[in-house]
Amino acid sequence: MRKNLNLSSIMQSKVTWAVIAEMLILLVCFAIRPDFFSISYQPSTGMLYGSLIDIVNRSAEITIISMGMTLVIALGGTDLSVGALVAVAGAIALKFLRWDVLEYTTPGDYSVCPYILVLTVPLIICALMGLFNGFLVAKGGIQPIIATLILMVCGRGVAQILTDGKQFTTGYSPFRVIGQGSFLYLPMPIIITIVVVVAVALFTRKTAFGAFVESVGVNPSASRLSGIKADQVILIVFLLTGLLSGIAGLIYSSRIMSNDSNNAGLNFEMDAILAVVIGGTNMSGGKFSIIGTLVGSLIIRTIVTFVYYFGIVAEATMAFKALIIAVVIVLQSAPVREYFAKRAAKRVKVSGGVQA
Amino acid sequence: MKKVFLLVVALVMVFAVSAASAKDVVIAFSQIGQESDWRTANTDDLRSAIENHPGWKLVYDDGQQKQENQIKALRNFITQDVDYILFTGVVSTGWDEVLKEVNEAEIPLLLIDRLPDCADKIDYVAAFGGDFVEEGRRQVAWAGEYFKSIGKGDVDMNIVIMEGTTGASAQTGRTEGNLKALAEYPHFKLVGQQSGNFTRAEGQAVMESWLKSIDKIDVLIAQNDDMALGAIDAIKAAGKVPGKDIIIVGCDSVKAAFDAIVAGEMNCTVECTPLYGAFVVPTIEALERGERFDKTVVHPEEGVFDMDGGIDLGSVKSVKAADVIASRRY
Repeated sequence: MRKNLNLSSIMQSKVTWAVIAEMLILLVCFAIRPDFFSISYQPSTGMLYGSLIDIVNRSAEITIISMGMTLVIALGGTDLSVGALVAVAGAIALKFLRWDVLEYTTPGDYSVCPYILVLTVPLIICALMGLFNGFLVAKGGIQPIIATLILMVCGRGVAQILTDGKQFTTGYSPFRVIGQGSFLYLPMPIIITIVVVVAVALFTRKTAFGAFVESVGVNPSASRLSGIKADQVILIVFLLTGLLSGIAGLIYSSRIMSNDSNNAGLNFEMDAILAVVIGGTNMSGGKFSIIGTLVGSLIIRTIVTFVYYFGIVAEATMAFKALIIAVVIVLQSAPVREYFAKRAAKRVKVSGGVQA
Repeated sequence: MKKVFLLVVALVMVFAVSAASAKDVVIAFSQIGQESDWRTANTDDLRSAIENHPGWKLVYDDGQQKQENQIKALRNFITQDVDYILFTGVVSTGWDEVLKEVNEAEIPLLLIDRLPDCADKIDYVAAFGGDFVEEGRRQVAWAGEYFKSIGKGDVDMNIVIMEGTTGASAQTGRTEGNLKALAEYPHFKLVGQQSGNFTRAEGQAVMESWLKSIDKIDVLIAQNDDMALGAIDAIKAAGKVPGKDIIIVGCDSVKAAFDAIVAGEMNCTVECTPLYGAFVVPTIEALERGERFDKTVVHPEEGVFDMDGGIDLGSVKSVKAADVIASRRY
């Protein structure tokens, strides 16, 4: 009887269906080109090399941001400003890397501020911007979608003012390590992602913080009455999301060794929300799944890589992405999940009956 | 005291506005946004040319790559009743309505860089812009002539085309030119065609996937330099040597591309000049004098820059990048 319950609850879980969807997409890739899965060692860069590595590597920014977004959505809100903060972080970092030279010069012809500033200031500013969002939500009582809209709209403007509307390029090699370096044969963004995911998982699951977030997401007033400082929880979650957007921004700008105030992080908020939703966290708040979000982010990047790898014509790319995502969402819908859960329950019951 | 102060401030502002509107020629400019070094140079050149012109006032709007922002800006310009509108559209379609409104308001329209699809249905004074089809042709022709010059003219080569933002006139024009020229070089085999959205990050990701899905790539045609620069990093990460193992032809001629060519990591960049100030200012001056224009198309002169120079492309001969890098402004 217990086994029966387990299988049916597994089939009920959205995370299961996210994993199944990812498997299906990869299976299609494998069916078309088995060498999609080939991974080799690239001596010139000291890294593993293959499409699967690319998927995990290029999903880093969205995965990192969506860790924060998961908690925001578990609170029953959304953070629209994350994409703009990615641009802000890149702009600040490049400003420090190109401190005194505004016009274009050959890399190497300008003074670089202490590297510690390049790394810390963008993160601190992004965390503060996140805190600003949290303040509007917690203390101002403004709906998160409206509160974060402010920075979504003006964040890119801030990034452009910081860099005088220019796209700086840098050749400073320590900065290259973040997005293009390697550690333990893996691209650095993957390592950073692992650290972030593990840290967020430990912070939410090994402390009571995750339970606080879910509680506030379901019913803030009841949580407050039961002694949870709802305001503090909201502030911490938005601050964390801002900080994580900053980390993603450093990775993005290190990959291209320049800032790109208009394109960096463009539509990242949508991708992050999608990753969280595919991962099984409900938009109305409450229970959340870190692993689910991770899988959701991988699905999004797998689709993009699929498009590039198999040469879907540029005009059809958007429609193709939308089609796959629609299929994933339908697979996860309540009727489909219940249907399979019932079937699983029945099958176990029948086989159990025969054995007895 | 405070009230008096506010009154003074208000009066000063009213005078300032009326003084400005009484004398100044107001020129409004709806720009796409800051998508690349090229766009920045384009914006800076036009802005400084207009702002430094005595008696002219610039109203600048950055569309942040969104069509709806630009449509809003154009409608604002109409409401403000500006004297001239300079316009570059982020995509080529969907401008019919708002540009007709500009026509109805009888504000002279000057199209910069990109021609909207509806250009033949609306009135405009002049269009300033590179010949995208010719630029696309030059990209492929350079690669073809380069291989001839090193004695590999009859060796089969695999070529990939990295396109710009789908639907932008620079993308449609350059793709047309690319494909037209491909027909003239039968030894080129097109093995990949994908959009890199004119950005470095996407150029990098697309090249990364191509290097795994396509066995042999000999030539990369990137429809702007930023995508080519992104692709260079991806090629290095794959353990190949950009500029040698894979011949890279960019477009636009931004300074970062010159650096890459001088460093031997990129082979050629076809110029698409953003410096329109020198062409736009005389046109507006002429309009102010009462001269009439009707849909005049102005193609600025453009060059081709590569590692060694001297490749003959019919309409133009390539110039060695290292010789002119010092004089480049963007």
